[in-house]
Amino acid sequence: MATETGSGLDVKTGRVQTAVLVAGFVGVQLLAFVAAYATGRPTWYAYFMIGSAAVTAYLLDGSSFVVATATLGSVLLIALGLPLFMFVARQTPSLVVEKAADPDVHRVLYLGIYGPLLAAILSLAFGVPLAHLLSEGFSGQPLVESLVDLPLVVPHSVAGILVLFGFGEGGAFPSISVLGSMVGMVLAMAFVAAPYAVNATREAFEAIDHRLEYASRIHGANRWETFRRVTGPLAVRGMITGGVLAWARAVSEFGAVAVVAYSVSFFYPFAGGEVTAQHAPVFVYNTYLQGGLQESGAVAFLLLAVSAMIFLIVRYLTDDNTIGGVP
Amino acid sequence: MTQLAADIASTFTAEGAEPFTVDATLEAGDEETLVILGPSGSGKTLLLETVAGFHGHDGTVTVNGTDIADRAPERRDFGFVFQDYALFPHMTVRDNVRYGAQYCENPRDAEGLLAELGVAHLADRTPPTLSGGEKQRVALARALAVRPDVLLLDEPLAALDVPTRQSLRDDLVDVLADVTSIYVTHNRTTARAIADRIIVMAQGQVVQRGTPDAVFERPESPIVANFTGSNVIELASTPAVRSLLDGDTPGRGDAHGNGTAERVAIRPEAVRLDDDNGDLRATVRRVVREDATHRVTLAFDEVTVESFTDSPPEVGTDVVITLPRDRLHPC
Repeated sequence: MATETGSGLDVKTGRVQTAVLVAGFVGVQLLAFVAAYATGRPTWYAYFMIGSAAVTAYLLDGSSFVVATATLGSVLLIALGLPLFMFVARQTPSLVVEKAADPDVHRVLYLGIYGPLLAAILSLAFGVPLAHLLSEGFSGQPLVESLVDLPLVVPHSVAGILVLFGFGEGGAFPSISVLGSMVGMVLAMAFVAAPYAVNATREAFEAIDHRLEYASRIHGANRWETFRRVTGPLAVRGMITGGVLAWARAVSEFGAVAVVAYSVSFFYPFAGGEVTAQHAPVFVYNTYLQGGLQESGAVAFLLLAVSAMIFLIVRYLTDDNTIGGVP
Repeated sequence: MTQLAADIASTFTAEGAEPFTVDATLEAGDEETLVILGPSGSGKTLLLETVAGFHGHDGTVTVNGTDIADRAPERRDFGFVFQDYALFPHMTVRDNVRYGAQYCENPRDAEGLLAELGVAHLADRTPPTLSGGEKQRVALARALAVRPDVLLLDEPLAALDVPTRQSLRDDLVDVLADVTSIYVTHNRTTARAIADRIIVMAQGQVVQRGTPDAVFERPESPIVANFTGSNVIELASTPAVRSLLDGDTPGRGDAHGNGTAERVAIRPEAVRLDDDNGDLRATVRRVVREDATHRVTLAFDEVTVESFTDSPPEVGTDVVITLPRDRLHPC
């Protein structure tokens, strides 16, 4: 028992050391960026980051292979991270505050979260059963898989056109108004987001040992009960991941939404009635066209902050320690 | 009182593999333990899973004369113990054992079963925190909790270390005494220890069936002889054994009783190393220590046989061995 306690402490100490190391690295990066930005030389930070990645890899590992991978990898990180850092650094705080207090922006942010949430729920509601079917396999499966993955390769404006052809005027459900409606916006979002929900959930189903389902069945549970008590709970993390990915994809969707539902009316609880707004990416684009980079950047900053906050909350809720599932 | 019979034919296909056909019949009497013995890939697990209803098939599965082949697994009143335990990782041990209680009219008490199997103290733990032996006892408790008409066990001891395996095997003998069961294993020691009857499978077919003594002492084919650990002696390769049997060649026991064997089988423990008065001389090729005894490989003519002895001779020396006539069986 003493040994187990000792090894537990060792693990805890190791984690603390790692966390301190990571925090130190990030702190140094932030300081370096602030210094480079303040002196008007952001390029220097790019060189610093690549160099610091190489030095850190050398100090931690020492092998030329790891140094090479860290150095080359950091070039991509520069491409991904530097625009983000510059974007944040170049915001005008007063403009961000002004936009944060703008009721129009509130509606856009509300719609930018609420619409994708509906699309994610729709994707999961019908995607989970499909994912389960795909995980079990059936004749003609490659055809269905191709159809599911089709939105991943279709240009997004084309996806919007497809939605209009399928469900718009003269489409499959003539009684439902799609063009310029909330239904159309959610459909357009679900069209591009559903593959993420289906594929992540399918992977979760496939990771479950089929003998667990056999064990459930042979000891009395029918297929519904087996799904409710065994398969579903074990795949719930994959479903949530799929839902979050679908939501994130829908949040970022521009092309399909701009084609199908450029501007929509929806119930806005804070106004107690119907209001009209645009999906956030469309609104940011319009602001850019009408007000320029700085004004659109302030709105984009708010959208980025809200999205990042929701993403972090969901990540926390789906962490190993906060949710059940396959260990 | 439960009797089970199955007559199953099914072809299984897996991606990248040749189709595999299982075509077998089996019967298990009331409170009898039927062991399906066979090497890996012989189809014994597929046969057991098909009996359980996990795979579609042609043919029948009858319990007390009623065909249940069309019933879903949950309506067959079977219990199943899986090789890799298949315990639900998101439930406690207690909830695992209680899993089938709500679908069963008269379930057994989970706490009592766990106590009976010596794992009551684990009730609040989850399966990932248990050892292999503990998991298997919990899996056994879960299967017994629904009072199954037939208990199906798929290599339940295969993944355990030797001491745990022996301990659990002893407990299984007691548990299986009161329930009709089908037990799949590739371990001949386990098979002989717990079986009332054995069927031996190879390539999806039953190649021999009978009591443990019949299967182990009188294998009907080289496949069974090899798998059950008997020596197989090709008579064409050994004039010594042929002359030994001259005039007394064991027949294959065909309908007319006039067949002639091409090979015979004999258990290693039946091959005696004598100081003199033996049947023939053999050279000691290898001696391997096995627990409390020694396995000795002996060569004569163009064949080798194995024997067990507590007093092993030196490798390379010649010894006189005896092959008791009544232990030589055609195969």
